[in-house]
Amino acid sequence: MRMINFAKRNFKELIRDPLSLVFEIILPLFLLFIFQQFDIPADNYKLENFTPSIILFGFSFITLFSATLISKDRTSSFLIRLGTSPMKSSDFILGYILSLLPIVLIQNILFFLVAIMMGLEFSINILLTILVSMVISILFISLGILIGSLVSEKGTGGLGSIIVQLVCFTSGMYFPKEVMGDIFIVICKILPFEACLNIIQGTLHNDYSNLSLTHIIVFLIYFITILLLSIIVFKKRMVSDNK
Amino acid sequence: MNAIETKNLTKKFKDKIAVNAINLNIKQGELFALLGTNGAGKTTTIKMLSGLILPTSGSIKIDNMDMKKDVFKIKEILNVSPQETAIAQNLTVKENLEFMAGVYEIKDKEQKINELIKLFKLDEVLNKKAKTLSGGTMRKVSIAISLINDPKILFLDEPTLGLDVIARKELWKVINSLKGKITIILTTHYMEEAESLSDRIGIMANGNLVDIGTSKELIKKTKTKNFEDAFISIATGGKLYEND
Ligand SMILES: Nc1ncnc2c1ncn2[C@@H]1O[C@H](COP(=O)(O)OP(=O)(O)O)[C@@H](O)[C@H]1O
Ligand SMILES: [Mg+2]
Repeated sequence: MRMINFAKRNFKELIRDPLSLVFEIILPLFLLFIFQQFDIPADNYKLENFTPSIILFGFSFITLFSATLISKDRTSSFLIRLGTSPMKSSDFILGYILSLLPIVLIQNILFFLVAIMMGLEFSINILLTILVSMVISILFISLGILIGSLVSEKGTGGLGSIIVQLVCFTSGMYFPKEVMGDIFIVICKILPFEACLNIIQGTLHNDYSNLSLTHIIVFLIYFITILLLSIIVFKKRMVSDNK
Repeated sequence: MNAIETKNLTKKFKDKIAVNAINLNIKQGELFALLGTNGAGKTTTIKMLSGLILPTSGSIKIDNMDMKKDVFKIKEILNVSPQETAIAQNLTVKENLEFMAGVYEIKDKEQKINELIKLFKLDEVLNKKAKTLSGGTMRKVSIAISLINDPKILFLDEPTLGLDVIARKELWKVINSLKGKITIILTTHYMEEAESLSDRIGIMANGNLVDIGTSKELIKKTKTKNFEDAFISIATGGKLYEND
C-alpha cells in the first residue's frame, strides 16, 4: 500500500526529529507534572481536568510539526520526485494523517500513565477518551497540513506558535474565560479549542454538562472545513509548486 | 518504435515561454541528451515528459500511451532523477531505497535493492542518514533510486551537476552500462558529456529545440572543427562570432 509506505516514512522522519519529541511529549508531560506540585485551588488544575488540557496542548504541537514536515517536503525536491511516481493525492494526504496518529496515541498513553501515577483514577472512560481525542487530533493534523501547504518552513514556526498560544488561551485550560471579559468569551466560542477541550473532558468525566450543542456544531464545522481545505490546498500546491 | 513522441509541446509561465512548440521523437533504447545553457528549458521539458506538470499546449506520447489519458500508467514505467537531489533526509540510504521500492510496489524488493547497492557501490553508506552524505553520494543515491522500478524510460536531469571528475566518470560508466537496455533522456550543459554518452543530441536555446543529430552530424552541418564549436554555432544561431 503506497499510503502506508508513505506514512511509515513520515513517521520515521517525525520521530527522528528530537525537537518534535521534546515539544510533543516531554514538555506537556513536564507541565502535567509540575502543575500538580502546587496546590492550585482552581478547578482547571485538578488532574481530571488538566490531563485533557495537556492532551490538547500536545495536539497544538502536532499541528506545528506536521506543518513543518509538509512544508519541508514541499520545498525540497522530495515531493517533486514523488510527483512523478504513481502516488495519488489521497496517498499523500492519508499518508500524512496516518503517520501522526501513532504519535497522538503515544502522547495519550504517556499522559494518562503519568496522570494515573499521580493519582488519576483509572476507568474505562480513559480508553474512550483516548479514542475520542484521536478523532479530535485529525483536526489538528489537517490544520498542520493546511499550514504546511500554505507557507514556507520558516512560516510554519510562526503560524504553529500562534496555534499553540490560541490553544493555551482560548481553550480554558489555564484560566476560565470569564476573567477576560465578554469579547474574549465570544472568541473562545468561535474558535474550536474550547469545544475540543470540553469534548475530551466530558468524555473522561462521563459528564457532558459543560458541553453545549454550540460546541459540537463549532467543532464539526472546523473539523470538516479544515479537513476539506487541507485536501484542496495541498492538491493545488502539489501542482502549482511544480508549475 | 518510439519511446517518446511530442507534438508542439509548449509551456508558458505567464508571459515567459519556457518551452516552445517542441517536436521530439526518441527511439526505444536510445540515449538522448538535451543540451542547453541555463534557462534553455531542459528541466521544464523533462517535467512535462515525466507527467509532473501539464503542458500549456501540445501533446505527449510515452510508449504509445497518451499523457493526458494514461498518466498513472505512464508513471509506472518511467522514473526521474530530478535536478536537485531528492531523497528523504532523515532516512538512511537503505531506508530510502526501501521507501521508493514501496512507492513503486516492487515485488522482489530485496533483490532489486541489493542490485542497486552493488551497481552504485553503496555498501559503505547504507546505514547513514541521507542528510549526512556528501553532495556527490547523495546524488548517486538519488540516481540509484530512480532505477528502482526498472524504468523503461529514465530521465536524468543534470545528473553530474556538482560532481567531481572521478564521481562524474564513475557515473558515466553506470549510465553507459544502462545504454541500449532502457531509453534514457539526459539533460546537461556539459558538451563533452552529451558528446561522449549519447546516441543523439538535441540542442535547446531559449525554449526552442534548435537542432537534433549525432555529434558528428552536428559538427558536419555547422562546418565546425569540434562539437563545442558546433554547439555554440547552433545555440547562438551562428551569431556569437559575428558580434564579437
Ligand atoms: N515555475 C516557473 N515559473 C516561472 N518561470 C519558470 C519556472 N520554471 C522555469 N521557469 C523559466 O523557464 C525557463 C526555462 O527554465 P528551465 O526549464 O529550468 O531551464 P534549464 O533546465 O534548461 O536550465 C527559464 O527562463 C526559467 O526562468
Ligand atoms: Mg534545469
